[in-house]
Amino acid sequence: MTPNIAVVRIDSPHWRGLRLWLPLFLLWIPLILLSPLILLVTLAVWLTGHISPWRTMRVLWAIVGNLSGTDVRVCRYGSRVTVRIL
Amino acid sequence: MNENRRQILEMLAAGKITTDEAERLMAALEPEGWSGTVSGASGPGITEGKTRAKYLRVLVEADQSMTGLKGQTTVNVRVPMKLLRAGVRLASLIPAQAHDQLDEALSRHGVPLTLSQIKPENLEELIDHLEDLTVDVDGKEGNATKVRVFCE
Repeated sequence: MTPNIAVVRIDSPHWRGLRLWLPLFLLWIPLILLSPLILLVTLAVWLTGHISPWRTMRVLWAIVGNLSGTDVRVCRYGSRVTVRIL
Repeated sequence: MNENRRQILEMLAAGKITTDEAERLMAALEPEGWSGTVSGASGPGITEGKTRAKYLRVLVEADQSMTGLKGQTTVNVRVPMKLLRAGVRLASLIPAQAHDQLDEALSRHGVPLTLSQIKPENLEELIDHLEDLTVDVDGKEGNATKVRVFCE
């Protein structure tokens, strides 16, 4: 399952916190639009290189599909930045 | 997509719940034991079956002498094990003819690693041995940074 939303949260004791919900699923739109170009690049890599495009796609898909659950939190001096991929 | 997540997103899109409420609901769907704070990270699951580890946790506590920033800095990272396994498979994409050059360059820089031998199974072995690793990094003036790596 590909990630749908990334939540970026910035909290600071000096100013009002900021919370951003980034809709990652919208990235499908440029990806679909660029798919002919991606296909051409894939074919070029397949013909010129020695890398299997299918294996490459499988690995990249596995990476993107398993991004959900990643969580990074950095705290310092009362300020906190959180990035969560849901 | 998970049905619960879909419902939450639909409610958010319909304006029935706020983003705060949606985040709380999403967080409630997360597996238990993820407190999100360093103090609460006592490594639940470390004593449980190691093969069932779902996440790799890295906790870093650094004081200002190490970071150059005012106050203590705490970094808390959680990475799904599935993502790590997928990342290890990236090594299989490196062309065979490049392996020798990479191995040579790595060993020249003090990393005696053979890339062609890295496989997802190696990660499992690593997880098995990664019960609870703590590394203390000494600073210039006696201050230290603590790095803790464990699976949960």
